[in-house]
Amino acid sequence: MKWLSRTYVWVVMFFLYAPIGVLIFFSFNQSKSRSNFTGFTLDWYRKLFANEIILQSLVNTLIVAVVSSVIATVLGTAAAVGINSLKKGPRALVMNLNNLPIINPEIVTGVSLMLLFVMFKGGLGSLGLSFEFGYTTLILAHIAFNVSYVVLNVLPKLRQMDQFVYEAALDLGCSPLSAFFKVVLPEIMPGVLAGFLMAFTYSIDDFVISYFVSGPTSQTLPITIYSMTRRKVSPEINALSTIIFGVVLMVLLAVNFHGARAERAGRRRGGAAA
Amino acid sequence: MRSKYSAFAAVPYYVWMALFTVAPLAMVAVFAFTDESGAFTMEHISRVGEYTNVLVRSVWLAAIATAICLVVAYPLAYIMSRQSGAKQRTMVMLIMLPMWMNFLLRTYAWMTILEKNGLINRFFGLFGIGPFDMINTSGAVVLGMVYNYLPFMILPLYTIMVKIDDRVIEAAQDLGANPLKVAARVVLPLSVPGISTGITMVFVPAVSTFIISRMLGGGGNLLIGDLIDLQFLGNAYNPHLGSAISLVLMVIILLCMSLTNQFGGDEEREGMLV
Amino acid sequence: MSQSTIISLRDIVVEFDGERVLEGLDLDIHDKEFVTFLGPSGCGKTTTLRIIGGFVAPKEGDVFFEGKRINDLPPYKRQVNTVFQRYALFPHLNVFENVAFGLKIQKLPEKEIRPRVLEMLELVGLKGFEKRGVNQLSGGQQQRVAIARALVNHPKVLLLDEPLGALDLKLRKEMQIELKKIQQSLGITFIYVTHDQEEALTMSDTVVVMKDGDIQQIGTPEDIYNEPQNAFVADFIGESNIVPGIMKKDFLVEFAGREFECVDSGFAPMEQVDVVVRPEDIKVVPTIAGHITGIVENVTFKGVHFEMEVSACGSRWLIHSTQSEAVGSAIGMVIGPEDIHIMKKMEE
Repeated sequence: MKWLSRTYVWVVMFFLYAPIGVLIFFSFNQSKSRSNFTGFTLDWYRKLFANEIILQSLVNTLIVAVVSSVIATVLGTAAAVGINSLKKGPRALVMNLNNLPIINPEIVTGVSLMLLFVMFKGGLGSLGLSFEFGYTTLILAHIAFNVSYVVLNVLPKLRQMDQFVYEAALDLGCSPLSAFFKVVLPEIMPGVLAGFLMAFTYSIDDFVISYFVSGPTSQTLPITIYSMTRRKVSPEINALSTIIFGVVLMVLLAVNFHGARAERAGRRRGGAAA
Repeated sequence: MRSKYSAFAAVPYYVWMALFTVAPLAMVAVFAFTDESGAFTMEHISRVGEYTNVLVRSVWLAAIATAICLVVAYPLAYIMSRQSGAKQRTMVMLIMLPMWMNFLLRTYAWMTILEKNGLINRFFGLFGIGPFDMINTSGAVVLGMVYNYLPFMILPLYTIMVKIDDRVIEAAQDLGANPLKVAARVVLPLSVPGISTGITMVFVPAVSTFIISRMLGGGGNLLIGDLIDLQFLGNAYNPHLGSAISLVLMVIILLCMSLTNQFGGDEEREGMLV
Repeated sequence: MSQSTIISLRDIVVEFDGERVLEGLDLDIHDKEFVTFLGPSGCGKTTTLRIIGGFVAPKEGDVFFEGKRINDLPPYKRQVNTVFQRYALFPHLNVFENVAFGLKIQKLPEKEIRPRVLEMLELVGLKGFEKRGVNQLSGGQQQRVAIARALVNHPKVLLLDEPLGALDLKLRKEMQIELKKIQQSLGITFIYVTHDQEEALTMSDTVVVMKDGDIQQIGTPEDIYNEPQNAFVADFIGESNIVPGIMKKDFLVEFAGREFECVDSGFAPMEQVDVVVRPEDIKVVPTIAGHITGIVENVTFKGVHFEMEVSACGSRWLIHSTQSEAVGSAIGMVIGPEDIHIMKKMEE
């Protein structure tokens, strides 16, 4: 029984990682072949770092991700505070609206925002103003699907929070606003951070929605990757995949390490209180 | 934290949702039922009928992929949930890691593996068999879906199974249930909410994808997503028809979700989107 | 004891979601007193406290603090501080920072904050704990931090909302004594909410017994215990035997099938009343010598005394006695005139 389950885990892991392994392996291949290894080289990495389009789209991606996730975090945290004070009925309604972009297929969110921006462009155009697809549309669209995740991460923290902690701050002389910043915000910070990180990674990773709302001058990395896969074979993609995989691996390891340490610290603390 | 002021914190978000969640979807609905001049018409909705074969194919392939994911993920999630804490964390990380690679790259990896002179065909070539036509088939599309969305099935199942107390399983054994009976009578009923979440999280992106079919399915395996894309950014430019198809896609997904929700609450979805 | 009034509540009505929680409450609280709101859950005692703290706005009625109407004054501008249920300490701050919180909000200079905080920590017995995280403290220690955090601001009134509810029995008794000492040494008003009658009797100068959003009785612990104004108070304050009776005339009541002399008067002749007898006021004697004869149904050892359940004249009686009787045996019960408390029938 033991070896059976172990074998099963290995088979699934092989299925998940073999294609990525192949990608990485052929990023070091001298020839352009995607199946015939002719010798080791780092040429594709050199070419990658000289590729203006890829570098520019990486910058675009980061700008859009940072701006959209910061705005989404502020908007979503404030929203969670308000939603938390709603009664059951209205709250359910608001939460259903909040979850709509998550449940809706990305392609529908993408085309619906595209329609909105096209209409917006037309409306401004008739006023003699110009409005082009680009950073603005990308950032607005990314906030539109990011902010839901912030709300979903912050709300449980607010609900778990001892209601009286906020009142205690008022009791000790804080105005409602300073009570929020001095007491509530530090309490819900883990949720706010988790929401921000989630918004940030979803933004970096998004292809479908960006595909419908980006302009010709503001391609994000996933869009550039897409056009690369549509064109002729280039092992630069493999090199890019390897780098992305390395970055993701390091981030996950760091998060995991931090999480394990926090958990141990929590156990110690729990033990002392008991 | 509930005070008379906190309710106002969500007002900007309500405005935001009205503008960027409700309004765009309302525009999709309006576009679906109007023509270029803005007059009401059923023409586009009825034209969706011409694509019945595409709709059926999308639902069929997505359903197969979802079923395979469920069958593969279920034992794995159970095995994971019965490991020690440190092992669980590592395995969850290993499942999430490929998820964080952009799905275009993951799909691209399979392109290179499945193509005519790709790795698999070369392997068979060593024994003098093949080459097989693997890419540009509906099987390749299903494989792409399973590969991309398998973690979406594993994680919700794992999250729900990890909550099943070991003692409950021991109690069942104590009462005379063999491992098979334990699985059928105890673990399965308790994991139903995870199953329904997993099905939704795999089926929704699978039925609405247009990248996987384009990269792995060639021209012959058009899905709903491809149709929508063609109407908005492709040669067939017709946002009215595109909106009508989007509307139909949303209805299909609503039907699927109400079906799976019958079997278990969707309460658990909140924390599972990482 | 000074009798100047510090807080007055007039005709207070509170509704939550259309449900009345307080119905026209009137109450005066005197300066430097230890006042306890006592009652079962849902009686409105916590709501009354929260009105004084400023966390609940009454629908009707007025709240006065030293003669000034403070209905619209927000909590952070009131000269009262609260010790919350389950402490509500700030988890991201250590003990010192928790206690210093209010002083920092007042923007006092650092050199004034430090000695005040240390002095307060010493008062509550937490000297040397300044740097500890509040999650590393035991329940009793967290409680002390909560008290110090409120008191350091020198409030005129300290509000305590079931502050000892989460502690175990032994610790609770210690803290009761300590709280009383702190109140006396600081000479400020404490308003204390509890559902534990023993706690109320031990600590208070004045007890306010509440039920269903109404005040049942206000008085010293002795008054409340010895002269309960109605059967609810009698039953809630300690265990009681409550049986129906008829007031024959002044100083004579009929219950349990015979007439008893009593010390109550002023009822209408033949009025239906509730008769309350404390379990420890019933003397057990041989059957021939008793007013009533009963059969012992059950005996429990309670440490200091035995608690006996006795059936007599169709009702069940609780008797506390230092001597045990065999289950099934017949006993005589004697009730003296001063041990019989006559109450008006409660309106249901």
